[in-house]
Amino acid sequence: MSNLGHTCWLCLLWSHYQHCPIEIEWHGIWFVTGTFDYDLVVIGGGSGGLACSKEAAQLGQKVAVLDYVEPSVKGTKWGIGGTCVNVGCIPKKLMHQAALLGTALKDAQKYGWQIPGPISHDWSTMAEAVQNHVRSLNWGHRVQLQDKEVKYLNVKGSLLDEHTVKGLTRTGKETMLTAKNIVIATGGRPKYPTHIPGAVEHGITSDDIFWLKESPGKTLVVGASYVALECAGFLTGIGLETTVMVRSIPLRGFDQQMAGLVTDYMEAYGTKFSWRSVPKSVDKLSSGVLQVTWTDEQTGKDQRDTFDSVLWAVGRAPETKTLGLEKVGVKLNKESGKILVAADESTSVPNIYAFGDIGEGRPELTPTAIKAGKLLARRLAGRTNELMNYDNVATTVFTPLEYGCVGLSEEEAESRHGKDSIEVYHAFYKPLEFTVAERDASQCYIKVVCKRGGDQRILGLHFTGPNAGEVTQGFAMGFQCGATLTHLKETVGIHPTCAEELTKVNVSKRSGLDATVTGC
Amino acid sequence: MWAFYNGRTQARGKREGREAKSHGGYSKKKLNPMAHRLLVRRIWTLSVKDLRCLPASLSSFSTSLRSSTTPLSLLSPKRTLPRSLPHTSRREVSFNVQDHEDFTERVINSELPVLIDFHAQWCGPCKILGPRLEKAVAKQKGKVHMAKVDIDDHTDLAIEYGVSAVPTVIAMRGGDVIDQFVGIKDDEALDSFVSKLVGQ
Repeated sequence: MSNLGHTCWLCLLWSHYQHCPIEIEWHGIWFVTGTFDYDLVVIGGGSGGLACSKEAAQLGQKVAVLDYVEPSVKGTKWGIGGTCVNVGCIPKKLMHQAALLGTALKDAQKYGWQIPGPISHDWSTMAEAVQNHVRSLNWGHRVQLQDKEVKYLNVKGSLLDEHTVKGLTRTGKETMLTAKNIVIATGGRPKYPTHIPGAVEHGITSDDIFWLKESPGKTLVVGASYVALECAGFLTGIGLETTVMVRSIPLRGFDQQMAGLVTDYMEAYGTKFSWRSVPKSVDKLSSGVLQVTWTDEQTGKDQRDTFDSVLWAVGRAPETKTLGLEKVGVKLNKESGKILVAADESTSVPNIYAFGDIGEGRPELTPTAIKAGKLLARRLAGRTNELMNYDNVATTVFTPLEYGCVGLSEEEAESRHGKDSIEVYHAFYKPLEFTVAERDASQCYIKVVCKRGGDQRILGLHFTGPNAGEVTQGFAMGFQCGATLTHLKETVGIHPTCAEELTKVNVSKRSGLDATVTGC
Repeated sequence: MWAFYNGRTQARGKREGREAKSHGGYSKKKLNPMAHRLLVRRIWTLSVKDLRCLPASLSSFSTSLRSSTTPLSLLSPKRTLPRSLPHTSRREVSFNVQDHEDFTERVINSELPVLIDFHAQWCGPCKILGPRLEKAVAKQKGKVHMAKVDIDDHTDLAIEYGVSAVPTVIAMRGGDVIDQFVGIKDDEALDSFVSKLVGQ
């Protein structure tokens, strides 16, 4: 915008481009001929971007997907697939599994397995296996794009105008693409608390943890999001001394009673928690360890301890800074920095769409991004008018004691309907597998939040226990169908499972009766 | 997981100019890859032919002096090109492809038939097939070379040759794909595959 541009002699219009020869010739082409290089250009090759581009290509559209990974501060980078595949869901779940297997090995002895000697975990073996699997997924995505005839470009995309995308390679070479429609699915990256001295130089984030070749050692995880708790959970599980530093509450946005059960279990399981603490500075000592100073907000005093690694899990920021959105007129939410989107994923610019983690108010989940991407592709190809339904999305937190839920939290239900209009049924149960293993099941709990009276429609369903994701998925379908408490009670449980306890809930919180499940 | 093979090896010349840099690290704008390769091959063949006479005579000389301890016996019996050659280092029977130029030089423009082993770090079957291939190639005593391509390092190359599942082995002679297979083969089947490549 600085030099006011120049006239494009082909179309005799003012152009804002600074690079003269290329843009003149090329800008003119799309305007004069009215044709575009592509029907659809997707910026971002993550869960959403890939699903959208592949679906569009299958529907006969000419599609290009631009994927680029800006290396993390520590220099970590990865292949195509986005956060989920490379630095999110996939490596997280695999490392969580590694931790669970450690616990299982301990339980195994009670079940008769003769395990000689103490059990130890080797980070490098796990990391290599996990990283190899991720690489196979990167490859798989490349093959799929090839097969579905989606043009893949490993370039950093930015918008020049509503139909033009500039791609920049790692070495600075430029490419231009014109498109009828542009979709932004660039997702987010972990935030660094830049105001804390030493935070950027010495800390790592979830972008780095899964790609470490050596063990992170004694780790401080700052944050209480599911990212923080899941990471701290598996680090503890593989035998590393781990501390979680929480400023206020754990799992903000989730049901707080359930969040408390999750953290109680983690504390009993061996993770240290530093509640109501705010880090002040991180220094590297001559020995190489990191010294962290923090303020205990309850006492007001400063505390200090040393760690091998500091993992910042204090939120994620949307990847919008280098997209050129302002120039093109795509509006953002001022607070979150995310792109403002309508129900059909459209932005303030007619042919530009945005979805996935980058969309304001959208859940930051892979399945919603995938589904939304596919529906968007179908709408753009004129095959449907169906909009993405973001309600009733089930999710699970893969902490050592997993927590699965669908629908409203108890607090949200209370605030929407009023405490007197809801009935909360609950139960403390003990997984059968825990009995022989002599494991503490105090935090294994079920909560079904229903509308009071009438058909007692289920408003929210919450479950802590082993395999929470597997348990919750089936109930999510019932939820989607408008399940009521009667439906739940009419469902015969599968025995012996943890999931069946959901079908047997009968004690309400209001009654004040003991909600502990006794034997069958 | 990626069990299907789409038989795209013949399509390698048909890709349009590509600017993308994969995380493998090399980039070449190939506006007409087939023509480019043929041209390079012609130039290379010309220059190589001049030098070919040298090692041929030397190696025949070396075999007759096999038992002697003269410096000539230090020449590898595999008929490698002398180290003074600017573009290649010691020419091994089995080698890891370094980059696109290396592939053009040592595979497409190879005088000898070449087996291309597309493999990946994360591929279990590749680890089984790899040694078997080495064995089969070694049996041919230098009549065939093997180029190993790590598909994570050379993703664009692998995609260009239509590789979808690994291991994929392509038999190439004179820059043309003669044969290929996906998955593991036992020693017998491998010997017959390699012999077929060398024999014709």
